[in-house]
Amino acid sequence: MALFCRKNLTPLQRRTMGLVSAAILLTIVTNLTIPGLPNPLADVFPGLARLTATNAHSLIVLAAALSAVSLLPILLAVWAAARYLKAEPDEFIRAIVVRALLWGFAITMAGNTVAGVLMNLYSRPFPLAILNADLFFISTGFALRIIQWSYR
Amino acid sequence: MKNSLRDLRAERNWSQGDLAEKLGVSRQSVNAIETGKFDPSLPLAFRLARLFKLPIEVIFSEK
Repeated sequence: MALFCRKNLTPLQRRTMGLVSAAILLTIVTNLTIPGLPNPLADVFPGLARLTATNAHSLIVLAAALSAVSLLPILLAVWAAARYLKAEPDEFIRAIVVRALLWGFAITMAGNTVAGVLMNLYSRPFPLAILNADLFFISTGFALRIIQWSYR
Repeated sequence: MKNSLRDLRAERNWSQGDLAEKLGVSRQSVNAIETGKFDPSLPLAFRLARLFKLPIEVIFSEK
């Protein structure tokens, strides 16, 4: 269980955790740019609410840019994981990280499927960008903990 | 895959941490191999054989 506790991290794991943390922060930032979703920043900066609520629908370029930005956290996380797996010398740790990532992808795809069915049933859009990135990070983290626990 | 890692380690009075350090892997890896939950790759098996100065088939055997 203590494998990924902060004091036990190798420099490589520390760097990777930093990159994944950056991806999580980026997810939060990109989530805040999605129009029509609860946004605490908009309460502080009313101008931001006007920008995301009105312009994103009217300006195709801005909408395209925002949708592309929402890809960045996932790409950054996948790149960080690939870089880590390439450099990690311990094959056992590599194996459990790969398993955790597969669980993360599986749960994200399952979440997408459920969200897709719900969207079709109720004919309402769902914040998929939030679902994808956040679900991936959370489920991968939990899967890693559970797999580590199973090897105790 | 069965292995006699725990006995070999005990003969030398090495802890799991000591063996992990000699192999350049984590203590969790040594524990997973010892308990038979994880089968090491061929390169790691060779490293173990070299470390214990024994043939691989003495350390590992089929169940």
